[in-house]
Amino acid sequence: MTAVAEKMEVRGEKWRGLMGSPQFASLAILVIVLAAFSAVNPNFLSPLNISNMMAFLPELGIMALAMTLLMTAGEFDLSVGAVFALGPVIVMLLAQTAGVDIGVALLIGLLVCIAIGAINGLIVTKIGISSFLVTLSMLLIVRGSALYITQGFPLKSWDQPGFFVTLLAGSFDLGPFKLYVSLWWFIALSLLGAYVLNYAKLGNWISAIGSNRNAAVARGVPADAVKIWLFIITSVLAGLAGMISAFRISAASPVAGTGYELEVIAMVVVGGTALTGGRGTVLGTVVGAFMLRAIRNGIVLIGVPGLAFNIFVGAIILIMLVLHALIQKGSARR
Amino acid sequence: MNAEVLRLERIRKSFGSVQALKSATMALKEGEVVALVGDNGAGKSTLIKAISGVHPIDDGEIFMHGKKVEITSARDAIDLGIETIHQDTSLAPDLSIARNLFLGREPVRLSFLGVLAPLDFAELRNSASVLLKRVGISKKLDADAPVNTLSGGERQSIAISRAMQFAAKVIILDEPTNNLGVEETHGVLRFVREVRAAGHSVLFITHNIHHVFEVADRIVVMRRGEIVAERTVADTDLLTVESLIMGADMSKLLKDKQVH
Repeated sequence: MTAVAEKMEVRGEKWRGLMGSPQFASLAILVIVLAAFSAVNPNFLSPLNISNMMAFLPELGIMALAMTLLMTAGEFDLSVGAVFALGPVIVMLLAQTAGVDIGVALLIGLLVCIAIGAINGLIVTKIGISSFLVTLSMLLIVRGSALYITQGFPLKSWDQPGFFVTLLAGSFDLGPFKLYVSLWWFIALSLLGAYVLNYAKLGNWISAIGSNRNAAVARGVPADAVKIWLFIITSVLAGLAGMISAFRISAASPVAGTGYELEVIAMVVVGGTALTGGRGTVLGTVVGAFMLRAIRNGIVLIGVPGLAFNIFVGAIILIMLVLHALIQKGSARR
Repeated sequence: MNAEVLRLERIRKSFGSVQALKSATMALKEGEVVALVGDNGAGKSTLIKAISGVHPIDDGEIFMHGKKVEITSARDAIDLGIETIHQDTSLAPDLSIARNLFLGREPVRLSFLGVLAPLDFAELRNSASVLLKRVGISKKLDADAPVNTLSGGERQSIAISRAMQFAAKVIILDEPTNNLGVEETHGVLRFVREVRAAGHSVLFITHNIHHVFEVADRIVVMRRGEIVAERTVADTDLLTVESLIMGADMSKLLKDKQVH
């Protein structure tokens, strides 16, 4: 075989490897979905609608990034939607009712999120209860706390502009698009997440823990500490996403983020991260986040009746999962 | 006579009210392959888990090269030069061969970044392929291929080469030939001999007594949490060892059967 032909073959193999990767499959379907929606309703790709989607995307997307790392390590967190509500509720209550400085209030909110994540992580790793049960209980505790301390009512709107509001939910115009600062947060955190998982030593540990915890521990990887930190990061980013949302709409509600935990997990698995751990892709999660937002938005725009909405969302998620399973089956030898 | 590498003195370990190890004393010499045999529940796994830091011991002493050491975690054992290849659990199947070879000891650049330091991929790949070549894994393996694309025998070979890579003084193999085909089993046994030739000491746990006679220099028999016998392979035979494992004289049993 000539050198050129060999090179071609290597390139061909690489290309096939890329095609078979979970991220690529997700990306291909995202393009198809976007094309289909815009073909049916050209307004789908109008600047106004894109701006709308981009406003929502970072809030769930940021939670999905943290969830990606956590799920790659073999755990998940059902309490993120509740933390999304409790974080801002605590901050706003302190700032509005108790008259605490907003900076101090945010710090206290952060500490509460750290505590929630640490409790989740400690119970899962040290006592050995599955993260499903621990974080399901935590969901109820956190959501219940948010409802109780607000007596079930949304808080007064917060309309004082300031440094933190601009930092988390400022908006700016980019050509015809009206975008929020939160998009930068999402981009920066995505890059950081992708770096950590693919290139950093920590990423190697995270994947190894999710793939075979005992093997990682036997090699001296501090599996429990890594998991506890991932739970903390997940809670903190859920609180951050909640603050971004609360500042954007100038209100904190105790029922905000209800059901977000499943939406976030859907974004992660649709992107190609394995629910059972070991294989995670941040790029895939970004695609998954886009996909779920685009589907939710596009289905309304193409005129699917509101009540039939979830049928389509569920069906598309299912199709994605089947696709990933088939790709995985084709490549692995178990 | 070769020098002693590892010595265990009166090791005890209980799980609740169950005394898994009553008082285990044994030694391992340089460049020696010792087979640890015994029935299920004899305490073999508990003993190697104690040495590898998975289950710290309750009582007793561990010596490396005559010096008393404490092993309370997997890290301690690795730092002392004790590498354990646990049954079916030594590799992360989703990670590449290269990443597995260096798991827990990743070569990094900008090491001041701690756990966030970037992996040195060039170093990772080079060292991995050098290692794969050095240990003579016959089939060409791609260092970037995930471990779940390998066969069971290939996986064992990777795990053993990893232990050799880090110049381990003691390599512990927990049932390395379990679930392997005939040819793969021979591959792993050949590998064990190469490990010995390279000067490492091997503690080899198995249920298969035939394998013991193929590779071991010495046999240590455990029964009910105790070490009940030690024999050099040259001085014993299969039936004797089986009798020792069962705690009954097999040759006598066989004779009795013939009489009736």
